[in-house]
Amino acid sequence: MVARLVRLILLSAALAACASRAPMVLPELDVPAGDPLLTSPAQSLWKQAVVARTDGNLVAAGRLLERAANLAPDSSWLYRELAELRLRQDSPVAAEGLARKALRLAPDNPVYQSALWQLVATARVRQGDDEGAKQARTEATLLIERGQQ
Amino acid sequence: MGFWWSVAKPAGIDILPAMTSKRPSRRSPRQPSRRRARSRAGFGRRLWGWLWRGALLGAVLLALALVWLDFQVRERFDSHAWQLPARVFARPVELYQGRDLERQHLLRVLGLMRYQEDGRALSPGTFAVLGDSLLIHTRGFADSDGGEGPRLMRVELGQHRIRDVIDVASGASRVARLEPLQIGSIHPGHTEDRVLVRLEEVPETLVGMLLATEDRAFYQHHGISLRGLARAMLVNLKAGELQQGGSTLTQQLVKNFWLTRERTLARKLVEIPMALLLELHYSKEQILEAYINEVYLGQDGARAIHGMGLAARYYFGRPLEDLGLHQQAMLVALLKGPSYYDPRRHPVRARERRDTVLFASFEEQVLDGTRMARARDQELDVIPKGSAALYAFPAFVDLVRRQLARDYPEKVLASEGLMIHSTLDVLAQFSAEQALARFLKSRDKVNGAVVVTAPNDGDVLALVGDKAPRSAGFNRALDAVRPIGSLAKPVVVLAALQKGGFHLATPVQDGPITVRMEGGQEWTPQNFDGQSRGMIPLQEALVHSRNQAMAHLGMQVGLPDIMSTFRQLGVQRPIPPYPSMILGSLNMSPFEVAVMYQTLATGGFNTPLRAITDVLDKDGQPLARYPVSPQPVVNQQDAYILQWALRQVIERGTGTYAHQQLPGALVVAGKTGTSDGYRDAWFAGFSGSRLTVVWLGNDDNEGIGLTGSSGALRVWTEVMASMPQRPLDLAPPPGVSLVWMDRDGQRLSGEGCEGALRIALRDGMMPDKATACGRVEGTRKGIMKWLRGWFD
Repeated sequence: MVARLVRLILLSAALAACASRAPMVLPELDVPAGDPLLTSPAQSLWKQAVVARTDGNLVAAGRLLERAANLAPDSSWLYRELAELRLRQDSPVAAEGLARKALRLAPDNPVYQSALWQLVATARVRQGDDEGAKQARTEATLLIERGQQ
Repeated sequence: MGFWWSVAKPAGIDILPAMTSKRPSRRSPRQPSRRRARSRAGFGRRLWGWLWRGALLGAVLLALALVWLDFQVRERFDSHAWQLPARVFARPVELYQGRDLERQHLLRVLGLMRYQEDGRALSPGTFAVLGDSLLIHTRGFADSDGGEGPRLMRVELGQHRIRDVIDVASGASRVARLEPLQIGSIHPGHTEDRVLVRLEEVPETLVGMLLATEDRAFYQHHGISLRGLARAMLVNLKAGELQQGGSTLTQQLVKNFWLTRERTLARKLVEIPMALLLELHYSKEQILEAYINEVYLGQDGARAIHGMGLAARYYFGRPLEDLGLHQQAMLVALLKGPSYYDPRRHPVRARERRDTVLFASFEEQVLDGTRMARARDQELDVIPKGSAALYAFPAFVDLVRRQLARDYPEKVLASEGLMIHSTLDVLAQFSAEQALARFLKSRDKVNGAVVVTAPNDGDVLALVGDKAPRSAGFNRALDAVRPIGSLAKPVVVLAALQKGGFHLATPVQDGPITVRMEGGQEWTPQNFDGQSRGMIPLQEALVHSRNQAMAHLGMQVGLPDIMSTFRQLGVQRPIPPYPSMILGSLNMSPFEVAVMYQTLATGGFNTPLRAITDVLDKDGQPLARYPVSPQPVVNQQDAYILQWALRQVIERGTGTYAHQQLPGALVVAGKTGTSDGYRDAWFAGFSGSRLTVVWLGNDDNEGIGLTGSSGALRVWTEVMASMPQRPLDLAPPPGVSLVWMDRDGQRLSGEGCEGALRIALRDGMMPDKATACGRVEGTRKGIMKWLRGWFD
């Protein structure tokens, strides 16, 4: 799992470094253990949001995710999902803010936190903030190293 | 078009040939003499000439008048008939397992939305009580996420919360929503409001009753009824004055649209051609629909009640299509005289008139005898004035209106039938209104405002702009821009923490201070109690709101840093660069204070406040979203440390009243504020999921004799006590520890040690020294921890 994540992060970092409008390649993750979403009725709304997003209905997905976050306000995962959605909607500033919120709520899981920093890095690249993106990638790498220890 | 000429010809063309046909009479053999006859003939010719020209001029003027009338008719009708205003809805009530919701609150929401208890919840808009459960048949609605269809739900209620929500059709547990309550409609440029309805939405019985009572020949005439006019003329001749108009529905519409309500002959002369023109251009259905939406049906203070859709809400609190026969008949009854037959003020005569309408409808076979009798047995069923949800929250709708005006042109708002999903939480709104009104009940001159938000997403849940919350006057929540007093102190503390070198135990001087400003003026702040306490820890300066200590701290930190911290917290209005700003001599509205404290409540995220979440077009298709957009502006550690200090304000400072009144498990933080001369009393504070700001003051800026603590805090506490919410998170973030510190601010101490103060401290500022007592206490704790480890 960790090795796969590292490969994905490196790949996305390389892509992000190449172009400011790089296609988004983010690590595939599962809801981390300990996230309140796992025990909340908000899960059904999140699942509907995933379907809507897959169907390309990003507006519906956004509304569903916000409703879910209202039911499970401490869920880091839902903010991560919102961040990813905003990135797809070409709103990198909002995406970064949401990813930072997800980090604030994240369970103590370096792999997951590393993925969130990677999301921050991608959002910063989209904003043209290469220095900020580099810092975020450093955070992501440090966390991965911590996870490997 | 044939009808147009039948109206226009007599004036413009037909009259002239009729007059010229009389010419031969000038050559009558009965003329006395040729000279006189020639003279008379000359006079006659001149007279004829004058008459001819006069007639021609009259005809031209008449034709012009008709053209003008025709333009008026079409212009007003076309611009009015298809306008659909933006409709504003409260947030839909979410029902899900585990939600904190009292049974009485759910029943209140159902009541507001005019759900009817029918024992089995057979149709949308009905519910049934089954022991601890409620069977609710929802109505369904459109939303950006696809919305909801009508559903039959079983809501199982436990103590203070929902145990489960079951979809009866599938038997599965689910998250369900009640359709949102309509709380307003936006009509830019109109003083009166409308709830426009399509003819197909109007109950057939209502249309039948309307025609049976007001215009039985509606589908036969062309705008005027000669029989009706003759009858009215007879009555008027007998009475010697204008008593009856003999008006058709079309004429009544003309009156409502274009003319005054006076009964004069001149108005009648204009009304008739306009009615004919209206019928010429538009179908009967269009005229009927316009009539139903336009007719005047009452007065609510300065607001005219036009249209049956609005009247249904105003008198019965429900949509037109949901009215019972007896209520439909009452609306028709009002047409004869909305004031004279006002069912609230004159219930007896209103009921008599309603029954007359029912009987006329029976005679015209709109209703059979049984339905008529059943409707006549019903009470009037009007709701108390001011209790209809549609206009119940003017301050909040004002906020929505301002946000929309910023983003949409007036024309779109007035005509496109937009559906606006807002963030208003009806239950939170009622709590806020009630708390303010109760506290100010015996304080005639004092008014106030309350703002309640959900810090996580920035939703404005409630907004009260007046202690009489249904009054749509001065919106104090948005427009009362007043000195914020000590609400500024947390900003000064945050600026100090961010600057570095300060922590919550840093000693500050609570003693006299005089600052000389440019121009020679001096600023010499005093403490509230007139005393100075000497060196005190920074946290205590905030907890007990010490002015002199804060002034010293602020001057050490520097005004530019403090101003920049205000900006960081989202304050946009100009900040006066004077030292008095440290103690809050800058003006803000309650809403702006909520924006500022929002960042403190979220632990450092600036989450813009929003009153709208989604905008849909009239077909329910999403047009715009206002997504949640948190931005980190204060680092997590400083934000937590400040929250910690503000918790102490509640636990043992100027906010202890809240600590005494609120449940122990509800951890909250906040700050009092009082301006000079007791002119403004503030309290701003938050839990883990709610932020509430309360302001009390007098519109003419006189003192109110209340402080933030003795006034606003009381209201704040009641609002917070009434809302289900989460406590603030007690656990410090990484990099912050909770420690006992000596009052010297340089040594660690221990619980129970003299002068020890519990503070949140950045790990990087942890002192390496401890007091003697602190070392003993630390050792004892270490041993206890070691022992617990053995047994755990």
